[in-house]
Amino acid sequence: MAAKIYDVCVVGSGAAGGTLSAHLAQRGINVAIVEGGPGINTRTAFNTHGMPFDFPNRHIPTMRPGVEGFDSERSRGVGGKSMLWNAVAWRLSHRDFKGRSTDGAGEDWPLDYPDMAPYYDRIEREVGVCGNPDHLEDLPDGIFLPPVPMKLSDLLVKRGAEKLGLKVIHVRKSTLTVATRTRPACHYCGNCMAGCDVAAKYNSYDAHMAPALKTGRLDIFSNSIVREVMVSPENRATGVRFLDRHSQQEGEVRARSVVVSCACVQSVALLLMSRSRLYPDGLANSSGQLGKNFIPHFTGGVEAFLTDLIGQPAVNDEGFLDHAYVPSFIHTRKRDYARSFAMQFNYQNRRSVGWARDVRGFGKSYKEAVKARYPAFLVFSPYGEMLPNKQSYVDLDPSHTDQFGLPAARRQVVWGENDKKIFADMQRWSVEILKSAGAEILNVYDEPATNHELGGCRMGSDPRSSVVDAHCRSHDVPNLYVVDGSVFPSASEKNPTHTIMALAARAADHISERLQRKEM
Amino acid sequence: MESRRSALKIIGAIGATCAFPFGADELYGQQAGHLHHAAPAQAATGPYQPKFFSASEMHTLSKLADSIIPPTGTPGAAAAGAPQYIDLVASTSEERGKDCREGLIWLDAHSGKLYGKPFSELTEDQQIEILSPLSDASDRSDWEQPGVKFFHEMKNLTADGYYTSRIGLVQELGYQGNTVLDHFPVSTLPEH
Repeated sequence: MAAKIYDVCVVGSGAAGGTLSAHLAQRGINVAIVEGGPGINTRTAFNTHGMPFDFPNRHIPTMRPGVEGFDSERSRGVGGKSMLWNAVAWRLSHRDFKGRSTDGAGEDWPLDYPDMAPYYDRIEREVGVCGNPDHLEDLPDGIFLPPVPMKLSDLLVKRGAEKLGLKVIHVRKSTLTVATRTRPACHYCGNCMAGCDVAAKYNSYDAHMAPALKTGRLDIFSNSIVREVMVSPENRATGVRFLDRHSQQEGEVRARSVVVSCACVQSVALLLMSRSRLYPDGLANSSGQLGKNFIPHFTGGVEAFLTDLIGQPAVNDEGFLDHAYVPSFIHTRKRDYARSFAMQFNYQNRRSVGWARDVRGFGKSYKEAVKARYPAFLVFSPYGEMLPNKQSYVDLDPSHTDQFGLPAARRQVVWGENDKKIFADMQRWSVEILKSAGAEILNVYDEPATNHELGGCRMGSDPRSSVVDAHCRSHDVPNLYVVDGSVFPSASEKNPTHTIMALAARAADHISERLQRKEM
Repeated sequence: MESRRSALKIIGAIGATCAFPFGADELYGQQAGHLHHAAPAQAATGPYQPKFFSASEMHTLSKLADSIIPPTGTPGAAAAGAPQYIDLVASTSEERGKDCREGLIWLDAHSGKLYGKPFSELTEDQQIEILSPLSDASDRSDWEQPGVKFFHEMKNLTADGYYTSRIGLVQELGYQGNTVLDHFPVSTLPEH
């Protein structure tokens, strides 16, 4: 048990918790991070360069032999999902923050783009984001390192899109294209999502927590699964109770304030588990909104071969994964639904050839057909913005506990009419763009799939209909914050992590000011 | 395409600001096998001991796999170890193992009815004659006819096993990735 009383206890060490604690520690604030999983050495923990033929079952395990971590829903490891993410980084726009006001659907955030801009600036300067300033109203430009050039296959798609009046732009990622003093630039090995072992791609340990450890103000408690946020009878968060992941021994970390940053679903689960006499429906849940308004992104998918590349020699183009993007365009057009979609494409790694199953025939002609199509294969992954509905929520499973003896979180997602219309349209447009570029369509997925998890502790100015305020402070408990994707009141179609990091920087400012004023 | 030598030279050049943290060999020392530019000789370990199939079933599987992905300019599915991969998959699930085994029995019975021989003793043309209608029906998702689902499953497993092997992925398809580049080359569309 830690005898020290920290200024801030942060639960979770991913992009949110890592950014937030580093910002606080750099200001001389004493921070404890309590992380359920093990410490991870990015250089040696992952099978970054693994090939399928190195493994009898042809499945490349995430971790190298004998290294634990990243195998559990509840506790992945220091760095959380930032270890294995694709690093796509967009600024959200006014249309994203004010969905209800602009589109009559969903919810407005209790803040707008000008409130967030300084924090996007700060994050981009700190961690390095590469991209091209495209001057799009709906996709604010940032402070960018040089973008990665588009692949030939991207240019073919771009030409096809432009024939339809659509733009294809460079992707923006929290991956260095120019080295800094402490992190090298990307070397285009194509293993981003297997764990970047040089930390050219942002992860919250190498980019934020490791430098912050040098201040002496940051302690990381790893393998410590938080089972409860402790709240006093005076309605103040006093710290957290945790289980040691291996010994199951109980421990406590005490602090003047607590930040829950376990990632969307697990943050909701922790607050539900922390119910008490004061909060019978879950901690900080007097609104009844905890777990509700769960709005994960939904994706579609189209697999195709670009006809111009069929029969061409194989190329080394998987480095950095996807280089280009189709930003939202439908929001400017007449349509029978609200909100929008955008498309990631051409992010596939070429050591995975599962699509060979779907090429017709067998024998010599089949083998030749697969070989000819190998350099031409690409996937379109459109992302749609889900609207909140009453049938979609996160709660605790009343009858199942997980391997740590804690109630398992449950997700319930039911897509509404608007969501289904977006799905149909984004699939249709993906096929149109590909056909315009010249493509043989292989597969069009007919069901949406969930992706980035968002919502459940939504942000709002009214304590009766939201869980946290515009600074991520819970309405109910004055020294309890929630900072991660769970606070999004609307989902946008844009990848969320860059915004989560900006929210963390903004919450860190708020926490720091209040600590200085001795309010906590 | 960057040659291996120029790719390794690049590692020295990165370092004006942050020195590239690995020496050339160390970067790939984690998984030395991925240096795929020259396929290494397989260490001799003795004949494969099947986990599920009998020796005779493995023999039929090899013939079937080679019908699906034959040796051409590059080795076929049998040489690439696809039958061993299928054996592993069959051994991990009672239902899958049972389906595979029953399918092989059906295949030999069907072959016996048509040509009086088991599948493994047929000529290449006879094998193609048996498999073609199964493949066509499989492409149409016509699961009713006997043998169609089995063929579909065998094709999937053979493709999986082949295209995740060094022979399939590197030698046949020409996989180029998992290397080091100091910059990503600029592409331009060819003028038409």
